[in-house]
Amino acid sequence: MQASRARLFKEYKEVQREKSADPDIQLVCDDSNIFKWTALIKGPSETPFEGGVFQLAFSVPEQYPLQPPQVRFLTKIFHPNVHFKTGEICLDILKNAWSPAWTLQSVCRAIIALMAHPEPDSPLNCDSGNLLRSGDIRGYQSMARMYTRLAAMPKKG
Amino acid sequence: MGSEDDVGNLIDVDSGDDDYDDGNSDIPMSSMNSDEEYDFITKDPADIDLLTSQRTQKDYTILKDEDIRRRQEDDIKKVASVLSVSRGAAIILLRRYNWRVSTVHEEWFADEEKVRNAVGLQENPPILQISPDEDVSCGICFESYSFPAGIRAAACGHPFCRTCWRGYICTAVNDGPGCLMLKCPDPSCNAAIGKDMIEDLVAPEYKEKYCRYLVRSYIEDSRNIKWCPAPECECAVEFVVGSGSSDVICSCSYGFCWKCSEEAHRPVDCDMVAEWILKNNAESENTNWILSYTKPCPKCKRPIEKNNGCMHMTCRTPCGFEFCWLCLGSWFEHGRRTGTCNDFRTEEERKFDESERREMARKSLVRYTHYYERWAANQSSREKARRDLHHMQAVQLVKLSEIQCQPETQLKFISDAWLQIVECRRVLKWTYAYGYYLPENEDTKRRFFEYLQGQAETGLERLHMCVEKELNTYLEAAEPSNDFNDFRAKLTCLTGVTRNYFDNLVRAIENDLADVDSVGACSETSSKIADGSSNQ
Repeated sequence: MQASRARLFKEYKEVQREKSADPDIQLVCDDSNIFKWTALIKGPSETPFEGGVFQLAFSVPEQYPLQPPQVRFLTKIFHPNVHFKTGEICLDILKNAWSPAWTLQSVCRAIIALMAHPEPDSPLNCDSGNLLRSGDIRGYQSMARMYTRLAAMPKKG
Repeated sequence: MGSEDDVGNLIDVDSGDDDYDDGNSDIPMSSMNSDEEYDFITKDPADIDLLTSQRTQKDYTILKDEDIRRRQEDDIKKVASVLSVSRGAAIILLRRYNWRVSTVHEEWFADEEKVRNAVGLQENPPILQISPDEDVSCGICFESYSFPAGIRAAACGHPFCRTCWRGYICTAVNDGPGCLMLKCPDPSCNAAIGKDMIEDLVAPEYKEKYCRYLVRSYIEDSRNIKWCPAPECECAVEFVVGSGSSDVICSCSYGFCWKCSEEAHRPVDCDMVAEWILKNNAESENTNWILSYTKPCPKCKRPIEKNNGCMHMTCRTPCGFEFCWLCLGSWFEHGRRTGTCNDFRTEEERKFDESERREMARKSLVRYTHYYERWAANQSSREKARRDLHHMQAVQLVKLSEIQCQPETQLKFISDAWLQIVECRRVLKWTYAYGYYLPENEDTKRRFFEYLQGQAETGLERLHMCVEKELNTYLEAAEPSNDFNDFRAKLTCLTGVTRNYFDNLVRAIENDLADVDSVGACSETSSKIADGSSNQ
């Protein structure tokens, strides 16, 4: 408990100091609980998520960083490796490939990379995975773009 | 130990017994009259001892925990000294190549660089050259520590503090055998973390757990060693692949098939055993019974068995539906229309098929039950015989030795008889599975098989009865019995005869009953008997 709190505090200070280090990621610690974080990440360019801002929720276990944080999308997203309803993310580094040397910041970077490079062979969202697997790139992109526009962009007017 | 060895002898019949059995391998013993049988066996009891000793050539070795650890240690030392690497590195290499020392050597000397990269034993200079007394930040908790007191790094040089290392390693050890392939915590680094480092950093309980995984990996990754499947047995069995029988007896006295890890099942092959076990476990046979003897209630679909009476059926409450057993229509409609359902309708044909199907299912069930009952009965009889054997060795032997004034060593023939019974029950049990799968249209084979099985079974029952019942007379006697030596001779004979019957049965089945194909096999064998017995 102490170790995880100390480590999270280090990360918190790092985030405060390097606020502008990565313009695509904005990590915010919960006001009252250092084990709860949210992040806003920008959809990577040249992907159907470009222009969208996606919110992630982090729930950090007491064994952190020996155990990975739990992360899910709060913003709806159409992506093969993200559960369409719950926002749960299927990403190896959040499961068995976790290393304690990862940070919340680097997890965000890994999620951005996942958005740009989906893994349709282990889908949490089968519809999305099937579009990609059947080679219907246009179909996948227009669906993903539609949801980005619907859920991840500020409403006009 | 002595008795265990004996069991081994019984099993290993095909390893060294050729010279003994050649003369009478095809002889159905039944065609001799019984006096001759006894004669033939008793003439030279030394022969039997000779034969048993020849059969001790084993195709396998039982490894106890200390044997396993010693072997593993030897292999590690060998690799470490030949490749001039640390013990930790030797373990990583051996594990990568499934503990095959020769493969490690080959791969290493073919392309050392490639092997080093594959297992994470690179010799690159460490990422971070730390000079003593410099403060270094741990890559996990981000705290600063002085080097080398607080910081450790694997060969790669990525620095982490001791507390974080400990946490990292303990988490991995708790997660399971994956800890044997532990890498540096840095995500981009594949440097292996060896046993030396782990032992240096964590508490004894974790070290021990890690070592247990290491020993397990030595057995489980190896192609020719397996754990004994008996519960609570900690031995492993090393098998010489390619040798005859795959039946193995562990030192815990559990016999199993090395190939499929099921209980020993010679002469039946692994596939048949798997199929039979599946069949016994499956609900399918119950379903078959329900199909043959019941009909579903037309309303609530619960199966109903009609045990007597008229065709007017009333389902159990709460359903309470009343219907006709024959046409399954509602009884009231049924009665209103014609009173019966005897009028012929086109449906009748369908119903006929239905009843034919039921009859077939019933017949197949009866057939299965026949074989299953005998399989199961021999199984439980075998268990009983094992218990009797132990009781005899633990209790009766001493008593008998006192009463009959015989040294215990001269009473070995009773143990031999019991061991023979235990083994025969096992074989007999599996021949019933064999019988079940023997195609029904192979009439000649079937008759030949049933003949051999019958002979063997008769012999076994005689032997079992003799040792179970007659022995009691001598146990209850007040003074040495005059005919005890006769009893010894008789039991020894019966044991030998039964063994021969079963050898024949086993051989015939392993041969897939091929003998029936040769014309006049019967007459040939009977003439051989005459030769065989006169030669003795």
